[in-house]
Amino acid sequence: MTAIADNINDLSRQILAGNIGAGARAIRWLDDGDPRGADVLSLIFPHTGRAHLIGITGPPGAGKSSLTNTLITEQRRRGRRVGVIAIDPSSPFTGGAILGDRVRMAQHTVDPDVFIRSIGTRGQAGGLSRSSHDACLVLDAMNYDVIFVETVGVGQDEIDVVALAHTTLIIGVPGLGDEVQAVKAGLMEAGDIFVINKADRDGYDDTYRQFELMLHLRAESVSRNEIDKTASAWSPPLLRAVAKRAEGTVEIVDATDAHREYLQNSGHFVKRSSHREREQFICLLREAVVDEIMEGMDEDILNSILRREIDPYTAASHELARWRGNTTS
Amino acid sequence: MPCARYLVNTMPTASWVGFKMLKKTRPLRILLAKLGMDTHTVGITVIAHALREAGMEVIFTGLKQTPDMVAAAAVQEDVDVVGISTLSAGHTRSLPKLARLLREAGAGDKLLLAGGVIPEEDRQLLEDAGVDRIFTMGSDTRDIVAYLQEWWLNKSEPTEV
Repeated sequence: MTAIADNINDLSRQILAGNIGAGARAIRWLDDGDPRGADVLSLIFPHTGRAHLIGITGPPGAGKSSLTNTLITEQRRRGRRVGVIAIDPSSPFTGGAILGDRVRMAQHTVDPDVFIRSIGTRGQAGGLSRSSHDACLVLDAMNYDVIFVETVGVGQDEIDVVALAHTTLIIGVPGLGDEVQAVKAGLMEAGDIFVINKADRDGYDDTYRQFELMLHLRAESVSRNEIDKTASAWSPPLLRAVAKRAEGTVEIVDATDAHREYLQNSGHFVKRSSHREREQFICLLREAVVDEIMEGMDEDILNSILRREIDPYTAASHELARWRGNTTS
Repeated sequence: MPCARYLVNTMPTASWVGFKMLKKTRPLRILLAKLGMDTHTVGITVIAHALREAGMEVIFTGLKQTPDMVAAAAVQEDVDVVGISTLSAGHTRSLPKLARLLREAGAGDKLLLAGGVIPEEDRQLLEDAGVDRIFTMGSDTRDIVAYLQEWWLNKSEPTEV
């Protein structure tokens, strides 16, 4: 393998040629907030937008990594190159992390057409890291056909992955609460494909019925939705899987393929991508503005809030006014 | 999308000094693995925990790895350090092979550490083959953390803004 280039132009060319070391370096820069990352991104961005981004989310211990492992195998069998972004939590106290998703995917490590990257959340709530979107762009530019984004174990409404991915898989397991959990807002509203993993366990039938009820109710409300008629054209399948025995894998990949086809035929593939880029643009803009405001902020304001001398709303509008004054003068 | 929760980035106790630090962190990334049929995991788990506590990102690849797997994972993860725990021999063959594969993959600049049961008479062979530092049985995790922190500080200083 050729050495990783030092300069941005050569590194970008290496990425577009599929050089794993170069892609890995760019993702590192983007994850670390190194300005070189943004430079690389600006060069490779025109070559992105082709890969199928598949989000995989669900509660901790649902078997997301094991399932991803079997899905990689099936995608490879269908001749596709596969990228994986596997996110695990960073410690909110030390910033450190133990990223262990690779353990379940070890069999694909030396396959040159599979690229697995572990990323820590680094303080980000919502199930992803700040760099997830950028990392997907790098893998996209490296010409991976399918990119799996495996979130941290989520609870009820950490559904940022829905905005990131074209297709979102919600992984459930038997024995995590009754039908009230299933009809709550959040995670269960979000998925394009539902999978009950560990289907050989006790309680599978109950869980299946709960999911079925939830999907039925969801279909009813979607068909009454006058605003977004297009949403009703896809009815989310409910599938079973036993990841440790690779059961259900073919059906899941059939379903993600069918969803991709549906998105492309309905024009939603581009729509979802542009929604994502728009969100990312606003996000970056917001970060830049907040950074700038905070740069010149007086730390006494926080103390004033803590002493209850000023409320956070008033303090925020004061700071905004100060910043406006600085930028216009 | 992520940014809606941007301000949540500040942990409950953090002021905006902490907020800025959290955004600008560049944690050391280290891959920890075990080669061959060695299944003794207590040591590597203790080390992983100590490094996490020290704010490092530990990529754990699991047991029964081959040198090829570790080298490939090290490149994909763009880690700064590769740490191998070995407690059931085989290290005189697998570690030199790993060092060679890392160099061949253009990743020879990564720090290569070995720990566990490593007889003193093997030390020279491993160091000549490219193992940068060996921590044998009884090493204090605080010493390992301090060693890595100092190495990371020296390494990052020239390029850091």
